[in-house]
Amino acid sequence: MNPPARPNPATRIPVKLYRRVALIQTEDAILAAEILARRKLAADLVGRLTDRVLLVRPGRVDAVIEELQRMGHTPQRIDERD
Amino acid sequence: MSDSDASAWSNEVRRALQGYAEPLLRQVATRLLRPRNQWPVEELIDRCVAVMDNAPVIDRRIKELPAESRRLLTFIGHSRQPQWRLGSLLELLAGSGHAEGPAPALALLEAGLLFPAPVTTPPGVATNRLKTFEQWLGQGTVTGFGVFTHPAAAARAIGEDLGLPECPGAVPASSVGVRPAAQEADGLEWLLRMSVVWQRVTAASLRQTQQGDLFKRDLERLRDDPLLSSPPAEALAEAPNAALLAFSLARAEGLVKGQDGEFVADRSTRAVAKSLSAALASLFAALPTLETWNPIDGYAPQDAGASPYPAAYLLALLLLAKLPQDAWADPAAVGAWVLARHPYWSAEAVRPSRLTNWMPAFLLGVAYPMRWLQATKSTDGNWLVRLSPLGRWLLGFAAPPPETPTFAQTLLVQPNMEILAYRQGLTPGLIAQLGAFATWKSLGSACTLQLEPESVYRALESGETFESILQTLEQHGMRPTPPAVKDALRTWSNKRERISVYASATLLEFGSPEDLNDALARGLPGVRLSDRLAVVAKESAVDFRHFRLLGSRDYALPPERCVEVEADGVTLTLDAARSDLLLETELPAFAESLPRSSSNGRRQYRLTPASLAAGQAGGWSLPALQTWFEQRTGQGLPPAVHLLVSGADAPPAELRRRLVLEVATEELADGLVQWPETRTFVEHRLGPTTLAVAEEGAAALRAKLESLGLRFESTNSKHESP
Repeated sequence: MNPPARPNPATRIPVKLYRRVALIQTEDAILAAEILARRKLAADLVGRLTDRVLLVRPGRVDAVIEELQRMGHTPQRIDERD
Repeated sequence: MSDSDASAWSNEVRRALQGYAEPLLRQVATRLLRPRNQWPVEELIDRCVAVMDNAPVIDRRIKELPAESRRLLTFIGHSRQPQWRLGSLLELLAGSGHAEGPAPALALLEAGLLFPAPVTTPPGVATNRLKTFEQWLGQGTVTGFGVFTHPAAAARAIGEDLGLPECPGAVPASSVGVRPAAQEADGLEWLLRMSVVWQRVTAASLRQTQQGDLFKRDLERLRDDPLLSSPPAEALAEAPNAALLAFSLARAEGLVKGQDGEFVADRSTRAVAKSLSAALASLFAALPTLETWNPIDGYAPQDAGASPYPAAYLLALLLLAKLPQDAWADPAAVGAWVLARHPYWSAEAVRPSRLTNWMPAFLLGVAYPMRWLQATKSTDGNWLVRLSPLGRWLLGFAAPPPETPTFAQTLLVQPNMEILAYRQGLTPGLIAQLGAFATWKSLGSACTLQLEPESVYRALESGETFESILQTLEQHGMRPTPPAVKDALRTWSNKRERISVYASATLLEFGSPEDLNDALARGLPGVRLSDRLAVVAKESAVDFRHFRLLGSRDYALPPERCVEVEADGVTLTLDAARSDLLLETELPAFAESLPRSSSNGRRQYRLTPASLAAGQAGGWSLPALQTWFEQRTGQGLPPAVHLLVSGADAPPAELRRRLVLEVATEELADGLVQWPETRTFVEHRLGPTTLAVAEEGAAALRAKLESLGLRFESTNSKHESP
């Protein structure tokens, strides 16, 4: 059996990497806007990365999840183990 | 004993032997292996570990031991718990009439059949290799004299005569009377209560004191919990502080564990489905570790480390094993025997309050609901007990009893989200599954649970899915799951899909949408966030052979300085090489992007009253902006920004006309301020050579100056001399 083909280094895709980023992805842009408008979350959210993605301040994930739960949401936490 | 258990204890044996100094290791190995060659240390350890599973060799070594050492190993074998405190083992020997002190344990240590329990040392503290066992005994305050054996070795010792008498208080079956039928619990009571404890701790973790105990508020929360403190459905006597016994059992079984100063629920253990026998055997093996609870005081964490109860429990159960066939025993008589012989209660200094016969509370309130015992009532109405088939198996006196058949369909799911669970169909696995997604509301012959958004959400967080929850309900339901329940479960599950929070993800930014498509086509395990961004939860899953890194940024590190403030104080220029997504996400919150970039092609933002007002509405207060400027520009908030943000809050400014006298030198100005003849005309010193002069005194000041011969010029014709 032939060994699996190794990718050609010449065709490597250039990419910028951002590690240990905390973010929220919502189902739609309206939900993202609703979360962004929540005053209690203002200090914990850095801003809007895309219309459906919000950037969370480092170290504030647990507080953000708690506030989302208080808002009646049931956020799905995705950790490294997932 | 499962294979994984045996393997774990083999690892413990290896670790203990690695902690021995070479002479001691060779001395122990000589007794255990009788080697004919001089093996290297590592091979010697391998051979010592391997011999634990070699029954004929272990049998020979046990036969060579003194009788008291054999008894000690036999006690461990009957307990199913390989690790004990040395004090408890010596209490067992003393209780059976052999108070020889630590000599039997030393003989076992030297024979390689007993090992010092591992000690957790703080990081950075070096541990010396053990040279002699006497040295180890000298460090007893540190180790708490914990010892362990390999369970395979302890099992081989079962059968040795322990020197115990016939069970005291024995009552022949013929004299029990009209109700000789043996009564046996279903064994689920404490498993159900442990599941309730798990739910309580999952809902809100409990804080841990420095001693590893519960804080008073959390202690009261558990003790007063209506469900946990309710009388057990199947107990024949009350166990004090039943709620805290359930908590102690949950800790012993790993459902609740200490972590970072808190007691937290361990979600991973919920998935382990055991048979009822295995679950009850696990609780039986945990009995010697149950040191924070006792049948007199209930919860008593202060006794941990020196509790006399573990030895007393085992003595009592072994006495019951000495009952003749079909005979029953009076729990109080068993208790009286133990209290009279156990060194803790038979000591002269023991307080009278400690001499309460607590054995009925333990046997009828704890051991009976665990199904270790059977019970019946004597003619005078008192409860009598004997070992159940399960109890005889647990103690090593009989083969395992057949599993009790359970009824698969045991749940009644009602449209109001309530689940009725009939106990005869419950198993440890089903209790764990139900407890994971529904909240226990009552425990009895039929238990009730409630399906709630929070409980379903908790289950989804633990890895359950809508399908797995529904499957459990369908599999064990006596009727089809009502549509309303299915709809609610689906709604709650879908709602969770609406928001995903990545706690610590890796973001990949590609140069073009085509590059991102290419990466996904090559198997990048990421989720597309935009046409150029993708996120992966686990960076180790990315095959970096496909990528060329242009740069990386760790968001857990402090932000980098990558912004320059222009001279106007409100225009910010970004250093593209060092800027990051965080910056470009937060800047639009309080600054406006300029359509034209700077002369060298860098991106620029401008702070305006409108942009700063929007930022303040979004939480960018003055201190937040100050911190941002210090982190990103390396300097404080520019005065212009300060003006735009806090200008409105300053005291009212005064705008008025003023006459300014400007002199040639600083000394002249000093003189005018100092000389009493001119000082009265000076209102303020505006600068080194400029003075503010009251308009009404201008003419008089001019006259004074001219009298001094000071030449005078004026730019204001109004004050010129005619």
